[in-house]
Amino acid sequence: MRALDLSLRAQAAGIAAGEIDAAELLEATLARIDERNPAINAVVETFPERSREMLAAAPAGPLRGAPVVVKDEWPLPWRAQKFGSAQLPAPVQPVPAESGPYRALRDAGAVIVGVGNMHELGSGSTGNVSVYGAARNPWDVERCPGGSSSGPAAATAARLVAGAVGADGLGSVRFPAAYCGLTGLKPTFGRSAMAGHHMAATTSLIVSGPLCADAADCRLLGSALFGESIPAGDAAGLRIGVVRDAVSEDVAPEVRAACEEALEALRAETGGSVHEIELADLEAATLAALLIVNAEGLGGVTPELLNGLDPAVSPVNRGFVKYRMLLPAAAIAQAKRVRTLTRRRLAALFEEVDAIAWPTIPAAAPPLDSPLVELPSGTRTADQANVRGAALANLTGIPAVSVPVGLGEGGLPLALQLQGAWGADALLLDAAEALERANGRRWVEARPPLARAEAAEA
Amino acid sequence: MHDPGQPGSVGLPAGMETADQAQDFVPAGLASLGIEADEIELAVMHAAHSMFWPPIRDLLSMDLGGLQAERDPDLSRAPEEEAE
Repeated sequence: MRALDLSLRAQAAGIAAGEIDAAELLEATLARIDERNPAINAVVETFPERSREMLAAAPAGPLRGAPVVVKDEWPLPWRAQKFGSAQLPAPVQPVPAESGPYRALRDAGAVIVGVGNMHELGSGSTGNVSVYGAARNPWDVERCPGGSSSGPAAATAARLVAGAVGADGLGSVRFPAAYCGLTGLKPTFGRSAMAGHHMAATTSLIVSGPLCADAADCRLLGSALFGESIPAGDAAGLRIGVVRDAVSEDVAPEVRAACEEALEALRAETGGSVHEIELADLEAATLAALLIVNAEGLGGVTPELLNGLDPAVSPVNRGFVKYRMLLPAAAIAQAKRVRTLTRRRLAALFEEVDAIAWPTIPAAAPPLDSPLVELPSGTRTADQANVRGAALANLTGIPAVSVPVGLGEGGLPLALQLQGAWGADALLLDAAEALERANGRRWVEARPPLARAEAAEA
Repeated sequence: MHDPGQPGSVGLPAGMETADQAQDFVPAGLASLGIEADEIELAVMHAAHSMFWPPIRDLLSMDLGGLQAERDPDLSRAPEEEAE
């Protein structure tokens, strides 16, 4: 197999052992981006000289020489982030800088080869709206790649790189991981590098996180973002909680079947158990997360700023950022009470179970030009449907991982989400690896058509 | 007595949850803040309002008893208070 198609850990190990030439890998990666990216618009900018400089200066860290992509959500020393938008509705516009993810990757020896596309202003779960144009799903380029970390996911799924860094404020690592058949970790709040994000000092929901083919690569890239090793275990005796609620019930039949099969496989592999649990007021928790994340983004935003908003910002976001100004303060205060209530309920639940499981996405990736999904309850926008399963982790700070568990009738990936107690990032990755073992790594090694042909030739 | 939770107390017939109220809220709110909006933006805001406002009202009516929100919660950890 060509070095380009190896896992992130195999690339790094091969370079460390002298079996892979890091300079050749970098040039091959840049060539592959040139070749494959036009079909998916995952990488919005490359900077070969900067990448070569990073490689030349790379320390002997755990990722030395490994090419990665970073979402357009943080600055680099040579490039300000655009946040997928013609303008950031904030009082201060981004400038080039050494962001936290940049420093974490640099110090681990990684080589940033490109900036990943993203849904405009991080405001959607589909990735079909961006100042750079829509990113496309490598499994079907007429389908949404997921958002808001659309580019990092599409780039990794198409094997432009073996790993990428995204951000998750309301599911933005997990949705694209699910749509693109990847493993994506939303870390415990505050554990992963965030400096340089325009909301780093104010957000209580957004985190950086890795998107990779499998859990072991997420562990490696996540360790770099954490600045500490995420240890490996075996998830033996895993106690899995399932909630019989709209989040797990109002899903496409193929999603439900794949997730139930995966849960049984995970239970058997870990020698664990599955328990039905109750988690009341999930709809309120979802709304609370939406209200808080939108309120936190309003610092320094003035009517004058909004009146001067660049007309190139999409109409949907122009309208929505103005609507945010009308959110009632009482609702924000109530949302914070709901957060406390939910955190206490979760703390009690995590005495009884180690992980809470439900589908990451209620239906496979929708069409780019009409991001609607069909659910038992009827037709919904993908955003409406998706957020119900993601907001809990962001609202409360707990970690979550999305794991591929099958391909639907349309050949599109399906995914299971596992959420753990605060600090249980390692356990979630252990559980994800147990699930990989249980299904013979079938789904983490599945490749989309765009990546399949060359891997077979190699 | 003014009861802000009851539409009737501010001169509207009880139960008058009309579309007009929602239609008025957005432009009135924008005007009060001096925010301009074109027709497309207004349409987006009306759609957002119709989606968000009913659950916001439900949220506001949730009885959480004497629960106080955590002050500066450390979201990397479980809440310090005793679990419910």
